Amino acid sequence: MQLFKRPNINFLKAKYIAFFVSAVIIVSGLIFINRNGLNYGIDFVGGTLLQVKFAHPVKIDQIRNDLKEAGFKSAIIQAVENSSDEYIIRVEKMGTGEEEEHLKIAKKIIGVLMTPEEKNLAAQKQNLNLLSEEEIRDILAQGFPEEKAIAWAKKIADLKKKNKIIRSFEELREAGIPKAPLDYLKEKTFLGTVSIMRVEYVGPQVGKILRHKAILATIWALLGMLIYIAFRFKFLYGISSVLTLAHDVLVTLAFIYFLNIEFNLQIVAAILTIVGYSINDTIVVFDRVRENMPAFRKRKEANFDKLLNDSINQTLSRTVLTSGTTLLALLALYLFGGEVIKGFALTMLIGVIVGTYSSIYQSCAWLSVWHKFYGLKGLLK
Amino acid sequence: MKRKVEWKFILIFLVIAFSIYFMLPPSEKIKLGLDLKGGMHLVLQVVTDDAVKMERDQEILRLKSLLEDEGIKVGNIYGKGIATIVVEGVPADRESDFDAVIKANFVSNWEYSGVVEGKAELTLKPKVISSIRENAVEEALETIRRRVDEFGIAEPVIQRQGIKGDQIVVELPGVDNPKRVRALIKNTALLELKLVKDGPFPTKEEALKKYGGKLPEDLQILPSKGKGYYVVERAAAVTGRDLKTARRCADKYNLPAVCFQLNAEGARKFEKVTSQNIGRQLAIVLDNVIESAPNIRSTIFDSGIIEGSFTSEEAHDLALILRTGSLPASIKIIEERTIGPSLGADSIRKGLKASILALILVMLFMIVYYNLAGVNATIALLMNMLIIFGALALFRAALTLPGIAGIVLTIGMSVDANVLIFERIREELAAGKSPLAAIDAGFSRAFTTILDANLTTIIAAIFLFSFGTGPIKGFAVTLIIGILASIFTAVFVSKAIFELIYFGKRKVEKISI
Repeated sequence: MQLFKRPNINFLKAKYIAFFVSAVIIVSGLIFINRNGLNYGIDFVGGTLLQVKFAHPVKIDQIRNDLKEAGFKSAIIQAVENSSDEYIIRVEKMGTGEEEEHLKIAKKIIGVLMTPEEKNLAAQKQNLNLLSEEEIRDILAQGFPEEKAIAWAKKIADLKKKNKIIRSFEELREAGIPKAPLDYLKEKTFLGTVSIMRVEYVGPQVGKILRHKAILATIWALLGMLIYIAFRFKFLYGISSVLTLAHDVLVTLAFIYFLNIEFNLQIVAAILTIVGYSINDTIVVFDRVRENMPAFRKRKEANFDKLLNDSINQTLSRTVLTSGTTLLALLALYLFGGEVIKGFALTMLIGVIVGTYSSIYQSCAWLSVWHKFYGLKGLLK
Repeated sequence: MKRKVEWKFILIFLVIAFSIYFMLPPSEKIKLGLDLKGGMHLVLQVVTDDAVKMERDQEILRLKSLLEDEGIKVGNIYGKGIATIVVEGVPADRESDFDAVIKANFVSNWEYSGVVEGKAELTLKPKVISSIRENAVEEALETIRRRVDEFGIAEPVIQRQGIKGDQIVVELPGVDNPKRVRALIKNTALLELKLVKDGPFPTKEEALKKYGGKLPEDLQILPSKGKGYYVVERAAAVTGRDLKTARRCADKYNLPAVCFQLNAEGARKFEKVTSQNIGRQLAIVLDNVIESAPNIRSTIFDSGIIEGSFTSEEAHDLALILRTGSLPASIKIIEERTIGPSLGADSIRKGLKASILALILVMLFMIVYYNLAGVNATIALLMNMLIIFGALALFRAALTLPGIAGIVLTIGMSVDANVLIFERIREELAAGKSPLAAIDAGFSRAFTTILDANLTTIIAAIFLFSFGTGPIKGFAVTLIIGILASIFTAVFVSKAIFELIYFGKRKVEKISI
């Protein structure tokens, strides 16, 4: 099988259109980001995040209203993979500066999510769905020998690990908890309708440092690329690669804004990976340019654009294939990797497409523009 | 063209064997990160100002006793800001003596510019302050490490970070009782035994009122656990520094309590204080809260008991943190992430599903597109996966959810090297080269490209590693290992397979690519 049989496309003819399209995306992206800001996650702005599992489906609007009534006006609620019983709730920092403010916020949110009957029960008994394995063991150990308590607590914890929430004591019986400890648990505890899968809190001072670090890491990575390419090729090639990479980062950021992707630590990782990936494509083309150089110099009527175009065409099937396999893998990650990794996968998907486009329409195009104004100076090895 | 490919296969099998050896059984050898195993990630800010203040207050005590020894009576000595001592009312006729005391004892660490109108100020030198801060963070780190170790949490990560280096990252895999662990780490556990002057009072205001609204310098009001406030002497008779050991024990009602023993120095102080103050109350103060205030019935030498309304667990933990020493400064939690075990398990399931699907899709694609050569590439890809897991196990590097993403990405990206080579071989074939010459040319000419392309990705991954915290580091690690492995598998392993298939034969008409 072969996708392209001796392709001969004049890519560079369209370079000004490409510049224009990229410029529109970048400029509009920057304007909007500057005006409205990105959809920063708690990593960057601070705040509290809870991931919860309900025993029964709950409408997202209901959660939103309940939270609003409790004073969390700007809470962001997100269904996990379109399910109706698992949600991520994000609350921005409250800024009271109180000691352990986050614990109070988390507690308050859990309170909001509970049903009224549950709240009454909670005043008298412990909620089995909110207890850790250790706490369950301690409760059981009050009525039974310790080794049995340990074994039963582990069974209960494993069941909770598998199902995320225990819906009824019947489930525990089926999991092999004998009647005596089951009755004991029924007496001492109750089953709440919500369990907490994760709680994350980030203080406001963390985000600022992180933003600073993220920008610094990106700039250093770009500089690293510049030096490597300048050393392996020529300085101009390095400059054009870095322009290309900056383009990739900015276009990806614009898409992150337009698609409203939550900007968190993983997205920074994705952007840095895109820098690493996109440079691959650029290098493969540059390498071919370098290889074609001796033959090009021998020719009389040297056409630098043709050299670039030929090199792009010769490596075209590789460029498309590698992007293809990477996109396939990322698509699998996006569709099946779970909610936590979804934003990362989507950003990478965008970045790989942008990186493939830019290796043709940015890195080579910049060289072509240089050639137009300054001739071959600095371009030949 | 017969070549020696045997040694190449010996090397390949060795790599495979070692990778499998290191990673078996995976459930034990592959260390899971917090986000997959569940656990707690904390970033703590050490309030180093506390340590500076504490040092300053110690020095105030020293200054007072020195002045007393010299018989210099001054009006008032108090602290200002975090690092300044103010002395007021130095008698005019003793100014030179005061000067001499300061110059003999303080000028090495303190900035001092003499007595002006009976008033003097001493300020800690900036160099001293920064070394106090530095020591405070180091000491806090060590204390937290001891506490975590004694508590018995397996494979914790405890390290410094932050621009000023005053933050401590604590990662505790498998912990699912955040409340208890938080208390364990965060409690300063500064134990002080202070003589009670007066009390208890229902409110702070009431206590103040008795002293006419202003408390003398040497007294302070402390809340009591449970009921009211006491007025106690500011200077502690004995502190946690004089502690030899502490353990959980039972009080006379057989309730959980903490028993402690003092070291020789502490015992000497304790004996003196208790023998002189029989009948008075002694407050047992923990982190500025009075746990209990028993009467001193007789001279006590070297042991004591802290009674309170503890659960057995609380008593255990309190004994643990007293034993492991107090923190030199208070600590603020600035980041806390608790991942429940069920989310971790969920992430593993999904990550595995996505990885396997990605693997199948990419392998199918390669086989459909390159036929037999595609099979060759899939073997290289599978071997790459083995090497990644082998390396993770060997270096005890944690597999995280972003790490799984890194593996999925490697699946997609690592065939790039194969693609580069195969496309090159096709080109050489199209240019009219014989199949074997085309294979040779394809591998050798694609090599520099592969090297350049992959090294730059590694550069980016290294910067990512230096930027990231736990999970992100896991991503960078799998990416770096995956890239290195892909250079090896695509260039070396694939070539060896080609050689095995084609180079033994007398005549090769056509290759499947």
